[in-house]
Amino acid sequence: MTNSIAVALAVARKDLTAEWRTRELVPALAQFVVLALIIANFGFQIDSRNAPSIAPGVLWLAIVFAGLVAFGRAFAAEREQASLEAMLMTPASPTAIFAGKALAATLLLIVCEAVLIPALALFFGTPLSAAVVFAVLLATIGMASLGCLFAAMVARVRARELLLPLLTLPLWIPFIVVGGQAVQVAMGASSGSYDQALALLVDFDILFVVLTSLVARFVLDE
Amino acid sequence: MNKFAAAAIGAVALMVLAAGAIFLFAPTDALQGPVQRIFYLHVSAAIAAYGCFAVVLVGGAIYLRNESISADRFARSGALVGLVFTTVTLVMGMLWAKPIWGTFWTWDARLTSTLVLWIIYAGYLLVRRLAEPGRQAARIAAVVGIFGFIDVPVVHFSVTWWRTVHPGPVIVNDALPPEMLATFLFTMACTLVLAAVMIAIRYRIEVLADGPVTAVAGQASLAATREAEPVR
Repeated sequence: MTNSIAVALAVARKDLTAEWRTRELVPALAQFVVLALIIANFGFQIDSRNAPSIAPGVLWLAIVFAGLVAFGRAFAAEREQASLEAMLMTPASPTAIFAGKALAATLLLIVCEAVLIPALALFFGTPLSAAVVFAVLLATIGMASLGCLFAAMVARVRARELLLPLLTLPLWIPFIVVGGQAVQVAMGASSGSYDQALALLVDFDILFVVLTSLVARFVLDE
Repeated sequence: MNKFAAAAIGAVALMVLAAGAIFLFAPTDALQGPVQRIFYLHVSAAIAAYGCFAVVLVGGAIYLRNESISADRFARSGALVGLVFTTVTLVMGMLWAKPIWGTFWTWDARLTSTLVLWIIYAGYLLVRRLAEPGRQAARIAAVVGIFGFIDVPVVHFSVTWWRTVHPGPVIVNDALPPEMLATFLFTMACTLVLAAVMIAIRYRIEVLADGPVTAVAGQASLAATREAEPVR
């Protein structure tokens, strides 16, 4: 068990070091999310009255598509250098390797969210509150577990760019429904129960992280 | 005439009988009028679709455990037939919603979760087409089948918690007059028979389409695993 955790942390550190040295993914994603805000501005004609009702939708659209890119990239580099096979040949458990890669991809997506949320506050005038940050972080955990599992599975399929969004987006919908509600309440665009939404997000996180770790064992052993 | 043709004719005959019950036996709804007759096939098709996706779930789980090719074929057949019944459910529901709700579509819990269901299993069938046939496609599809089946109640629950306008379950609430209940149960039984026959025929088509190729590929992958074992 402790050995698996050590393996997962080592794999995560390797991925984060690689990203730190190349600085490819995070700058690209940061530019992408800011561009999403610019596109939304021209698509919706944002002003101070309609911004609170549009901002949550723009936020989730940007997160979903940035997440797809981040999770797809996590396994793309391994595939290009055929290093995943080498890692799987070591005695380390495939689930631990997967957990490490998922952890690194999640942290990179969180860095990108750390650009997105302040940018949203700046350009859309939404409150920069801990409530928004907390809801986004909770949704990110569950979305990342699902997204990384599918990214790992389709990494060696020819049509992976098509398959990853096709398979992942519909399965993410529960997080968008509940996370969307939480962010709407936090931004004052909807009157609902923020606490209940957060509790549901925690439930979904537990459900999908447990399921992913159960299935990962069967999927990643070759 | 082989047994599949006979089963198909039997299933169609049952559906014609169900149509007779729906249009001739069941009374007209006092409030909704004849439009309400959509309900019988709409709900039956939805239940048949869930049944088909349960086949996909079980087939996928068995495949992940022991790589049984026939379990995977059942899963493939179930997904296709289930998608057909989901389409029937969605289209009939929209036809009913236009006169009753005044709109074809609204973002209600049941509508949203049924649409997500449709998209997930359409994705399932696309995986089978996009990934190289064999082990890889079957494994990805099995995982989609498992997550898809779990995701649908979750979507349903999360949207219900948010907002819903879909009519509640009338059958469990004992709100149906006996003639309507009898018609519904008969239609549901006929639809389930139809779904089972469609899966059986589709299974046969999958066997023929796989042909000797998969049998060889299956053996090859088995041989490959056997060779790989000592190295590990």
